[in-house]
Amino acid sequence: MKVNLKFKLLSSLLMLVFYGTISSLTAQSDPSGERRVTGTYAITNATITTSPGKLIEGATILIKDGLIQQIGTSIKLPVEAQVIPGDSLFIYPGFIDGASKAGVSKPKDPERPSDFNPSNPPDEIAGITPWRAVLDNFDSKSSHLADWRKTGFTIGQLVPEGGMIPGKAAIVVYGNNYSTNIIAQNTGLYAKFQGSRGMYPGTALGVMAKFRDLYKNAELSSQHGRLFASNVGLNRPEINKTLEALYPVLDQNIPIFFEVSDELEIRRALSLQKELGFKLVLVGVTQVEHVIEEIKESGTQVLLSLNLPDDKASKKKKEDVSEDSKERIDRVIAAYNNALTQPSILEKAGVPFGFTSSGSKSGDVMKNLRLMIENGLSEAGALSALTSNNASILGIQKFAGTLEKGKLANMVITTAPIFEENTAIKHVIADGYIFDFEIKPKKTEKDSNGTEAVSIIGEWDYTSDTPDGSGSGTMVIEQSGDSYSGKITYEDPSGGGTASSEMKDIELSGNILEFAFDVTVGGSLYQVTVKGEIEDDTITGNLNLVDAGSFPFRATKKPNQSNL
Amino acid sequence: MNKKMNRYKYIIAAFFIMGSLSARAQTPKGSVLIKNATVLTVTNGVLEETDVLVENGIIRSIGKNLSAGNAQTIDASGKYLMPGIIDAHSHVALEAVNEATSPITSEVKMADVVDPYDVGLYRALAGGVTVSHAMHGSANAIGGQNITLKHRYGTHNPADLFMQEAPRTIKFALGENPTRVHGRGNNNQPRTRMGVEAIIRNGFNDAIQYKKAWETYENAGKQKGATPVPPKYDSRLQTLVDILDGEIIIHCHSYRADEIYMLINVCREFNITKIVFSHVNEGFKVAPELAEYTMGASVFADWWAYKFEVYYSTAYNAAILTKNGVLTSINSDSGELIRHLYHEAGKAQRYGELSDEETLKLITINPAKQLGIADQVGSIEVGKQGDLVIFDTHPLSVYAIPQMTFVDGVKYFDINEDATDMRIKVSATETVEPIYLKEHDHKCMHGVDFFFTNFGRNLFDHTH
Repeated sequence: MKVNLKFKLLSSLLMLVFYGTISSLTAQSDPSGERRVTGTYAITNATITTSPGKLIEGATILIKDGLIQQIGTSIKLPVEAQVIPGDSLFIYPGFIDGASKAGVSKPKDPERPSDFNPSNPPDEIAGITPWRAVLDNFDSKSSHLADWRKTGFTIGQLVPEGGMIPGKAAIVVYGNNYSTNIIAQNTGLYAKFQGSRGMYPGTALGVMAKFRDLYKNAELSSQHGRLFASNVGLNRPEINKTLEALYPVLDQNIPIFFEVSDELEIRRALSLQKELGFKLVLVGVTQVEHVIEEIKESGTQVLLSLNLPDDKASKKKKEDVSEDSKERIDRVIAAYNNALTQPSILEKAGVPFGFTSSGSKSGDVMKNLRLMIENGLSEAGALSALTSNNASILGIQKFAGTLEKGKLANMVITTAPIFEENTAIKHVIADGYIFDFEIKPKKTEKDSNGTEAVSIIGEWDYTSDTPDGSGSGTMVIEQSGDSYSGKITYEDPSGGGTASSEMKDIELSGNILEFAFDVTVGGSLYQVTVKGEIEDDTITGNLNLVDAGSFPFRATKKPNQSNL
Repeated sequence: MNKKMNRYKYIIAAFFIMGSLSARAQTPKGSVLIKNATVLTVTNGVLEETDVLVENGIIRSIGKNLSAGNAQTIDASGKYLMPGIIDAHSHVALEAVNEATSPITSEVKMADVVDPYDVGLYRALAGGVTVSHAMHGSANAIGGQNITLKHRYGTHNPADLFMQEAPRTIKFALGENPTRVHGRGNNNQPRTRMGVEAIIRNGFNDAIQYKKAWETYENAGKQKGATPVPPKYDSRLQTLVDILDGEIIIHCHSYRADEIYMLINVCREFNITKIVFSHVNEGFKVAPELAEYTMGASVFADWWAYKFEVYYSTAYNAAILTKNGVLTSINSDSGELIRHLYHEAGKAQRYGELSDEETLKLITINPAKQLGIADQVGSIEVGKQGDLVIFDTHPLSVYAIPQMTFVDGVKYFDINEDATDMRIKVSATETVEPIYLKEHDHKCMHGVDFFFTNFGRNLFDHTH
């Protein structure tokens, strides 16, 4: 069973490819056969971007046991170095994720006490758990983590899931599974404007008020503690773990990472910061242009979302609609285009920012970055937001964020300049461990041989491997007008039997199929997106669930009924 | 301390206040000369063919043949000019309305959830409304702190809408709403009208204890070498202390005469004089008491029978209250009615035969008094803020249509420049943005769907 699981992990998720499976002579016996021969690597004759905008051509980088030893054009390589020819390859500092939920799960809600009073619930039930450490609810073997590493991320600050103050963040390196990979714990307090269902605080109104009260009482409680320690004849302080967990924030030792969904939430976070005086980092920023002055004035740091809205409107048919409808569609298109320019507006305003993966899909990251660059963000700005800026926001710039002697051996190695359309990531080095990725030659959109265009119409059987086991079902796709419609079945997550959903946004470009569908689990709606490549009546790709993971997806077309 | 020292401190303090004011972003202030209008001043009769000059947001002069200076001139010959309409009970431009999870939520602030993008603000401007009182909902016996808004539509910053001069106000609610949410819904107090009274009374008594605890702490700290331990901070009780200290005006959702009289008595007991009753459908039964002990009533013209406690109602309510000396206003409580409050006021005249001036007061100076802003707005007087509406005919005519609306002398609505799409912000993905019929579909506001009893009203966000 165990062996089987490991096999699955390795084969299906493209985890690790180790150099050499025979243990070194000096090491103890290694029955797993997985220990690497050497921790010293040299990548030679590559184009190395040591920090955004700084480039050395024909250079070699030498790393040893997780640290960068040397970078330069004339380096003497030690004998134990395994050499990777880097000719025609491009090396960049490994990406750093300012706030990630990869592999992080939401802790189970505790049971409600028999005398539960929704107007005054226990903190833990109301989502106020600042004492929680994200690592207690983190699965380091999550496929999600491997997905982000495959996209170039080598370090991430993990942020907890939960209610308005879910807990403390931690920074990990996406390295080898035999290490804990923890760089730092309790690096920040995470917070958001999320009310609790059916209890206080239930809305942004209550969350704002509760936040102020918690903060002020933490100040008073800490004051009481200090008085008690240095005086006699005082009542003992009532120890409250919620308030105590806020002390590092009061002392400015750690910032609050505030998750914000729009400009109004940014303003709410800024006004709390102004009133109470904590260090603030905004997380998941999207729209920002009308609040830049306030952000600058407050000295707040920004983690921009890697997510971009879907361009639904420009696909709308504009014929046969009224003038009013046309104008309305045009406004949506303008709003979409405006959303793409937000990173460049922030850059031009001189606000340094990093990126956060929270809420976005790993598969969309490069595409979104290219869109941001097309809309005015400089390439150096984009790379800084992925590397050095995040290193300084997280306070790890001493040992991460750029390629320099003595820094952690974290890097992304690509086949072409990183933001170019057809660039592929060939290796990612995280914590000195090398992860290799298969490079598939890109197919041209239209087959020049004049062969028949790809058809998706018909009935398909699919399987998808998730950590909970493999799932399967069928999809039926039909032509409807210029577009497609379809239905997909799946095992009912609520248990028992099969459920089905309409397939939405079915799109076929070249031999790439994309679609989405909604699944209802316990009253909540989740959107699943699928993207895959079609070849000879099979689809191979990935099934994505935002903030849950990306899983291999494979479908085969059923033979046409009439031919039987 | 000598006098000189005191004066010095005063100058320093004044310097700091000036400094903080100039640091705050300025909202736009306009200059405009409106010529030859029939000016309905509300507090100083009707002035025929008169000019009104607004400079830098303030009404500078009212008279004939005024010169414009640098101001833009608008010819209003044959038209009517009245002060901007004021709505003393509204929920326009709010992202959340009810923190319906506790019978007292005096700590929550509507200022935290103002949505400057709500196109409802523009619709209100198109109905001549320049000031609205953005209120917490009626789920709790003591709800949240409201915010008085000036309709400076077009800004991205909610704080630009705040009427900084307005005093603090708070929402209270009696009767069926709080008993249904907390009593029937959560099996908590209040389950009955008696429970509502107990919640309010206990809240005030707790606040007195709270105030005392802090006073004791602060006094103890003045002793040399003392190390007093601070009490717990509680913004909920602190807000109730501020009510007891006369710093906050209560606006109380109420329908029945008995519960109105009950709260009048509770307030008298706690020496609270700043209270306005909202809705007050049975107000005509306790008009003398309302006149004597309160800041009046803010009523509907003719809206009733949407639940049991609002059956005993009359369209003569506003007139009866006015004739009994109750400071009376007519409010909308609705993103739809707010567009024609001048018609709503007209109904009070149609039934109760109030004079034009008495009727116009219902939507101008009277609500201004109830919000504590009558020294700034609510009538056309020199020195007041330039919030003005031009109507094509007398605003109490059923044919009246607002032509232009000014806030601080800045024109925010002009019927001749009224684009089809006046939204400030649109979705980047949805061409048709969803309308939420139930608030909890939108904001997960569990347990508040009881507010919505009627489909037609739902569309316009009624939360009365």
